[in-house]
Amino acid sequence: MNRISEAISDLHKMDMEAGKNGWLQGIHPLPKLFITILFILLTVSFGKYELSGLLKMGVYLIVAFVFGDISIKQLLKRMKLILGLVCLVGIWNPFFDREIVFILGKLTVTGGMISMVTLMVKGVYAVSASYLLMVTTPMEDLCYSLRRIGVPKTFVTILMLVYRYIIVLLKETERMTDAYMLRAPKQKGLHYKVWGTMIGQLLLRSMDRAQTVYDSMTLRGYNGEFHLRCKKAAGHGDYLYVVGWSAALLIVRIW
Amino acid sequence: MHMADALVSPAVAGTMYAVSAGTAAYAVKKIKLEDLDKKVPLMGVMGAFVFASQMINFTIPGTGSSGHLCGGMLLSAILGPHAGFLTMIAILAIQCLMFADGGLLALGCNVWNMAFYGCFVGGGLIWHVMTGKKMTKGRITAASIIGCMLSLQLGAFSVTVETMISGITELPFSVFLSVMQPIHLAIGLVEGLITAAVLVFVYEARPETLFGYQPAFGNAGSMSRKKTVALLAVAAILIGGAVSLFASGNPDGLEWSMEKVAGTAELSANGMIYRMAEKLQGLTALLPDYGFQTSESAAGTSFSGIAGGLIVLAVCLLVCLAIKRLKHTGADKGNIGNEQN
Amino acid sequence: MNRLEIENLSFRYGREGFENQVLKNINFSMGDESVGLIGANGVGKSTLLKLLTGLLDIQEGIVRIAGLEMKKENLKKIRAEIGYVFQDSDSQLFMSTVYEDVAFAPRNYGKSEEETERLVLKALEQVHMEGRRERQIYRLSGGEKKLASIATVLAMEAGLMLLDEPSVALDPRNRRNLIQVLNELPKAKLIASHDLDFVYDTCQRVVLLSDGGIAADGETEAVLTNQELLEAHGLELPLSFSRRNSIMGQ
Repeated sequence: MNRISEAISDLHKMDMEAGKNGWLQGIHPLPKLFITILFILLTVSFGKYELSGLLKMGVYLIVAFVFGDISIKQLLKRMKLILGLVCLVGIWNPFFDREIVFILGKLTVTGGMISMVTLMVKGVYAVSASYLLMVTTPMEDLCYSLRRIGVPKTFVTILMLVYRYIIVLLKETERMTDAYMLRAPKQKGLHYKVWGTMIGQLLLRSMDRAQTVYDSMTLRGYNGEFHLRCKKAAGHGDYLYVVGWSAALLIVRIW
Repeated sequence: MHMADALVSPAVAGTMYAVSAGTAAYAVKKIKLEDLDKKVPLMGVMGAFVFASQMINFTIPGTGSSGHLCGGMLLSAILGPHAGFLTMIAILAIQCLMFADGGLLALGCNVWNMAFYGCFVGGGLIWHVMTGKKMTKGRITAASIIGCMLSLQLGAFSVTVETMISGITELPFSVFLSVMQPIHLAIGLVEGLITAAVLVFVYEARPETLFGYQPAFGNAGSMSRKKTVALLAVAAILIGGAVSLFASGNPDGLEWSMEKVAGTAELSANGMIYRMAEKLQGLTALLPDYGFQTSESAAGTSFSGIAGGLIVLAVCLLVCLAIKRLKHTGADKGNIGNEQN
Repeated sequence: MNRLEIENLSFRYGREGFENQVLKNINFSMGDESVGLIGANGVGKSTLLKLLTGLLDIQEGIVRIAGLEMKKENLKKIRAEIGYVFQDSDSQLFMSTVYEDVAFAPRNYGKSEEETERLVLKALEQVHMEGRRERQIYRLSGGEKKLASIATVLAMEAGLMLLDEPSVALDPRNRRNLIQVLNELPKAKLIASHDLDFVYDTCQRVVLLSDGGIAADGETEAVLTNQELLEAHGLELPLSFSRRNSIMGQ
């Protein structure tokens, strides 16, 4: 199944990017998390007709993407998923809101058109900002940040384990569905007669694996917490990053 | 259906974050401490399992399309609602971070719309009511189908409400709802069937792994097929009835697809859609769409404003690229200099 | 001092009436040596290893590790003394990167971050994986995963290593590499395997488990060349011998 191998390769690419030695990768994960959330929050706080102000927020993304050497191709791939939904909701605006805002040559621009574009720009900006965070921050650093801002250890541990075993199970699923497809070449998916047995088998195997993981944890002295370390200490650059971008983003928002 | 960041206002996102975080804190507390250490690896691996199995396409007999597994219901039936809920949050967080499915800001909404209803209503309430006293294949099947359908209906309803309160769409509330609910009724049925198939398999192979299973169940007589069918029929009628309160009786509701509009986006079509929408609105007076419209006006927006924004972006891009180029050539020169030394 | 002592150990699975006696009256002890635990599939090798780690509760008999008797109150101390290498490396390595995984045990045993780093680097050096310290686990090859698993256990500085089928699913080169790494480690090792060539290359002593009891216990050379003994217990001569024999026979 294409989707599975694609997901595996996406995760690979993301990890490779996050492990690079760029300047964005070098910044402490906590400031990056903070600025990302601030950026998305400010972006969605624009009113539905405030397209002109909203557009200027893109300055942050341009600077980061250009200087961070971040691949746009991967980003566009990720856009597909979310833009579909955003368009589905936004596409109706032009039909219901037909107040004329301005006329450009022969094109009459209505309020609905503006609000539709605003919505799409918000979608693009928000996805780009999250992507930027993930592609410059390894998962374990992100988990460390979450722990630092007070997310319970139980949850962070689960998050790390899910992330760790996604690829293992994706590969297992891929092998299983490949074996199925090779013997059922004309089908697009799993026949309903094997829904229970195939997925059920996978589920039971996963439960056995969980038991072994637990054994492995207890044998190495597990006492309820995954201790995480941060590879880099926060330096002047990190403070500058937070203060600089916070100020810049707020100015753009108010201006 | 994952909410996107663009579809929520900061106020809605913040509220839903608070509500979801509160529920998560409650769930962490509810799982007994001694239980927790043992459950954590199971939660982690099961989370990855649900993630992986949601990538599998299940062929739906008689149609060309495919469905997916309902994670919340399945996780709760194995881990219990509290642990299931925490695991679902982890899955949703990774989906949003790694695959841009959902968004960082909308995560609170998504947790509520999908994890809360799936785990506490479907996997908690329904599962408990249906299988708490007696566990049979029929009861498991019925619980899965009713649980999935119900939680998906509630989820779809929440998506609609959240989008409306955020004030980002001009679509009237009742119209939006009448599109969302019936579609999710069908999706819920399919997800319920898939989930049921998996849970029944687990019940036959290793019943003790199901949440709330007691060895005494082993001797309980199985529910007759007739009874199961009757129960499912009642549930379907109830859910269907509840939905039809919102959705119109108009059979065109489902065909109201995007292509239809996009393909004929002429003025006449606009008028038709508008009239249709109004008709739908009239039919569903239960939840009038007052208060959802924002009071902002489009008057403040001008062509020059938008052009100004675009110019700022273009200048920024050019400056960044220029600086980068300068830096590169500078670095290259430096390297050459070093070599000569 | 004996690293491990087992006295009259018996174990059965299942409820009364449906019992499956797996181990019967096992007596065995080992010091700082490398011992191969061999036997056909399903003979109870894994069960024995699980009893030695306390993952299964002892029903009958006594197990002592580093002089400590296996009991609930000693469990914590005992577990610090044993390093268990699982057959499935993906289950053993549950953290995201090599460094984090190897550092898991030292951190849990309360070591400082500097001490942890020293232990991690030393362990990775012992298995020749220094260059992979920040690598994500899922990007490692099967052989590297096995070596990383061994490093996680080495970082504990435990006195006794237990390995469950370490050579399974390794290609010849990784297998040879693993043999070399294990032979370089100056540690007491109990290696459960049905890969007799692997045991021949890594162990001085071999214990043959059959039908729940110990069928033979002696020097590797003596046990593994005894064709009659091996075949009587569902095993075959190591490939290297059988080939040599067939060549000499010609």
